[in-house]
Amino acid sequence: MHKHFPVNCIVPPHMLKNIATNGTNRQKMLAIDTLKLSAQMRGQRQALAEFATATFRVAVGGRERVVYDAKNGSSLPGTIARKEGDGATADVTVNEAYDGSGYTYDLYNNVYQRNSIDGSGMRLDSTVHYRVGYDNAFWNGEQMVYGDGDENLPVSERLFNRFTISLDVIGHELTHGVTQFEAKLTYSQQPGALNESMSDVFGSLVKQYHLQQTSGEADWLIGQGLLTENVKGVALRSMKAPGTAYDDPVLGKDPQPAHMKDYVNTINDNGGVHINSGIPNHAFYVVATELGGFAWEKAGQIWYVTLKDKLTANSKFQDCANMTYQAAADLFGAGSIEQQAVKKGWTEVGITVGGVEPPPDGGGGCLEALLRLIGAAPAKG
Amino acid sequence: MQVERIKFERTGGFAGMRIATDLKLDDLSDDQAQTISELLDDLDFGELPEQMMNEEGMPDQFTYTITVETKKWEHTVVTGDVSAPEKMQELLQLLNRLARTHKKQ
Repeated sequence: MHKHFPVNCIVPPHMLKNIATNGTNRQKMLAIDTLKLSAQMRGQRQALAEFATATFRVAVGGRERVVYDAKNGSSLPGTIARKEGDGATADVTVNEAYDGSGYTYDLYNNVYQRNSIDGSGMRLDSTVHYRVGYDNAFWNGEQMVYGDGDENLPVSERLFNRFTISLDVIGHELTHGVTQFEAKLTYSQQPGALNESMSDVFGSLVKQYHLQQTSGEADWLIGQGLLTENVKGVALRSMKAPGTAYDDPVLGKDPQPAHMKDYVNTINDNGGVHINSGIPNHAFYVVATELGGFAWEKAGQIWYVTLKDKLTANSKFQDCANMTYQAAADLFGAGSIEQQAVKKGWTEVGITVGGVEPPPDGGGGCLEALLRLIGAAPAKG
Repeated sequence: MQVERIKFERTGGFAGMRIATDLKLDDLSDDQAQTISELLDDLDFGELPEQMMNEEGMPDQFTYTITVETKKWEHTVVTGDVSAPEKMQELLQLLNRLARTHKKQ
């Protein structure tokens, strides 16, 4: 588990800055965290502000989208169907992919000052009409890919509509791209469920931002509109009430837990990445509704900074709880309403945040912290 | 090959839903049984590698596990959307549909 180290100590800031520049990724992260916390505790608002600025990339280019048509084949990317600046086509699926990737770009660019997936204006490529009867969507490391659902079955047997129909699905897939460039969360077990949860969180925020909905107005559903009327269900997942999105004779019941006591241990689905994501999803929902207003402004900002600057490949739920708690302090101050909301959000799903206070034995802890930063002492579990 | 039984499981995907079926070819219609046998023959299924997964860094893809039993051997193949050979797509679609139909029973 990642621990935050005491900062009011003998390690001079220039040494931490050197580590932040020259260390391994983990050492860098720890040093940056320590510098931030140090500046904050010393009341150096200016230093903190500079760090805050540095953590956001400046948007330098515009959005650029291309939508390809696989024409029911499997070759990627396929044939260009619409590119940036082209007018709407006769194909609603193409238009949904084009518009949805644009709305996703807008959230990241306008709210988080992030210029596209990689932060450097990467073109947003989507392929629609992938294969026949493909009831899925995925990110292949370079682009989004969408199937048409069960279009090959008789209407009475269809369970899924086209996957571009839900804006949050598009935001979900693009966020996998953001995660790939930032936290690089391993796609298995808890890190994988966090990867999935980040995609659901920002997928939902893309929709909320586009519709300009407050946290009280949002539906907090993932994949609303995706299930046909043959299915007893409203969506694939609910962040507000995980486990309640569908309960159907063919599809079964939504298996998502909303609390650690119901955590699902399974070998399927890469260790339940689409199942246990219900836990961090619900934590975010609680934080956002506690704070009220537009969820992307405060809760979203805390989660974005955590995804970008704090989470690493093997982070687990407890790490994410601690890191969002820390991010809330970085952004809004220790003990702020926002930080308290984060604590409450994780508490409601059965996770207690670790806190940010340095341990009482300041000097000894400091040396230990430095040793750990340079890898000379084992990290505390 | 004289196929007697085929087990199919699909996990993962955006929806995270598991669907599975366990089919004895004798219980299927002649047409379906013949189609499955031909598709498996065409793939030379018994000679396919057990692990055909290369989906690292590709979130939300399906994982397919197919086990085929004949009188002489049993063979299991695990594959994914991008890794599955193009020739396998028709088989995957058919098994997918059969898994749904049989789940209702």
